[in-house]
Amino acid sequence: MQEQVTRNQAMRNNDRRTILAALDPGRDNPGYWRECRARIMDRVAFELARRRAAARASVAQVLSGWSRSLIPASVAAAVIAAVAIASESQRVAEPPEARLVLQDVLGEAADETGLEALLASDRTASPSAFMALVEGMAP
Amino acid sequence: MKERSDAQLVILARSGDSDGFEELVRRYQRAAYAVALGVTGKRQDAEDAVQESFLVALERLDDCRNPAKFAGWLLTIVRNRSRNLVRRESLRGGEQIPVSARTTDPGPDRVAHLAALRRRLRAALDGLPEVQREIVLLHDLEGWKHSEIADRLGMPSGTVRSHLHFARKALRAELADWKNDG
Repeated sequence: MQEQVTRNQAMRNNDRRTILAALDPGRDNPGYWRECRARIMDRVAFELARRRAAARASVAQVLSGWSRSLIPASVAAAVIAAVAIASESQRVAEPPEARLVLQDVLGEAADETGLEALLASDRTASPSAFMALVEGMAP
Repeated sequence: MKERSDAQLVILARSGDSDGFEELVRRYQRAAYAVALGVTGKRQDAEDAVQESFLVALERLDDCRNPAKFAGWLLTIVRNRSRNLVRRESLRGGEQIPVSARTTDPGPDRVAHLAALRRRLRAALDGLPEVQREIVLLHDLEGWKHSEIADRLGMPSGTVRSHLHFARKALRAELADWKNDG
């Protein structure tokens, strides 16, 4: 019974669709929807072209925007790098002199003859006496 | 190849991609026609409204906030343009344009029969509220499902079913004697 009702309902739906299909302009002209689409595409061609041009322009604007900020940034980076390299090479050149001066000072402080005498003496047995000699404070 | 979503096509069309927009037209031209026919009741006016609506839709494509809901947005444009067209026509006092003779020559009897059926259908549809006309055309002419109509017209599925029920009931009453006429 239920199945019969469902079948009748389906048939009524099909009938309705068949009747309403009379309103489908593609019913008598199979190419109707294609032609209709072609007419629409003709009408929108200008707007599509405008959008393509706008999209291209916006890409160019982005690139030029980048270049506007990128060039000064690159120049600034190059200047900073140049200054850094120059100061670094100057700093690298200075240390040998500084080391030389230090060695000289140390050399002066450590009296070789005093040290030899001290090493020969029995008094060097004491670590404090040895340290005092090295530090220039001979007992 | 996987079918592209409406949202993807809208994004393509926004950048002027012709194929992307044409696919949207192919997808929704029938539904747009059904909605326009539901409002105007005339084939020629419906065709004009559809063409105009697609042009307006493209011009305003950036205003489509949710590209995934393009169909509902487009059909709103179609409805509004169709109403404007009817208003302009009524102000001009325009007369009904006859159904195009662009057919594959099915013979005079069949042409007369079809013309009579169309007149009856239009009269029956005219008696329905606009929303019911739209829903019955989208469902019974274009074959959209309840859920698709609900989603694209932005109304609950139950409301769609209810409108469809009352629309069919009214059409059945209006066309009850059609088979005797045909």
